Amino acid sequence: MDQQLDVSKLSDADKKELNQILTNEAQKSNIQQTVHHLADVCWKKCITGKISSGRLDQSEEACAQNCVERWMDTNLAVLKHLEALRSQ
Amino acid sequence: MALFGSSSNNAAPSQQEVKTAIVKQLQQEAAMANARNLIGKVNEHCFEACIPTPGSSITTQEETCLSQCMEKYISFWNAASRTYVSRVARESKRLGGAESLAMMATPTDTSL
Repeated sequence: MDQQLDVSKLSDADKKELNQILTNEAQKSNIQQTVHHLADVCWKKCITGKISSGRLDQSEEACAQNCVERWMDTNLAVLKHLEALRSQ
Repeated sequence: MALFGSSSNNAAPSQQEVKTAIVKQLQQEAAMANARNLIGKVNEHCFEACIPTPGSSITTQEETCLSQCMEKYISFWNAASRTYVSRVARESKRLGGAESLAMMATPTDTSL
């Protein structure tokens, strides 16, 4: 296995392509991490009652959407204020 | 060692084969890590929601609740993912970024 996956024999073009693919995968994984975090936080806020169905109902879906959007707003607001503080 | 199946008669793998093998292995590991992460969260939240007072054995009601909770959590995760991805795309467009963020959404139901 180790010798089958010998990267050193790859051409420069191949290395470059591989590098690009790895960067994309890393980005994807980063996003998935964020979504795990978001689902975690928003589940606590949105799913409070007893679970009586396996399907996501309309209000729960809307809550999930609002929760994610507001989390993003929070993110941006914090950055914006930080920027303001910095330039004081 | 059957990574390349019967196509390899002990010859050194071509560059193309090495490349695809690396990518494939990486993607499998990433999918595994993602699934493990998801299962951990499902466990945490559904235990919280379905087993408020642990009894001496699991009840059918609790089991039903756990199945429903799990399905709901996955749908919830996908909803969060869709919203997040489209928001990030919107923001990066607003900032004039030409970054292509199209391929970053991988809803769990396709990777599980």
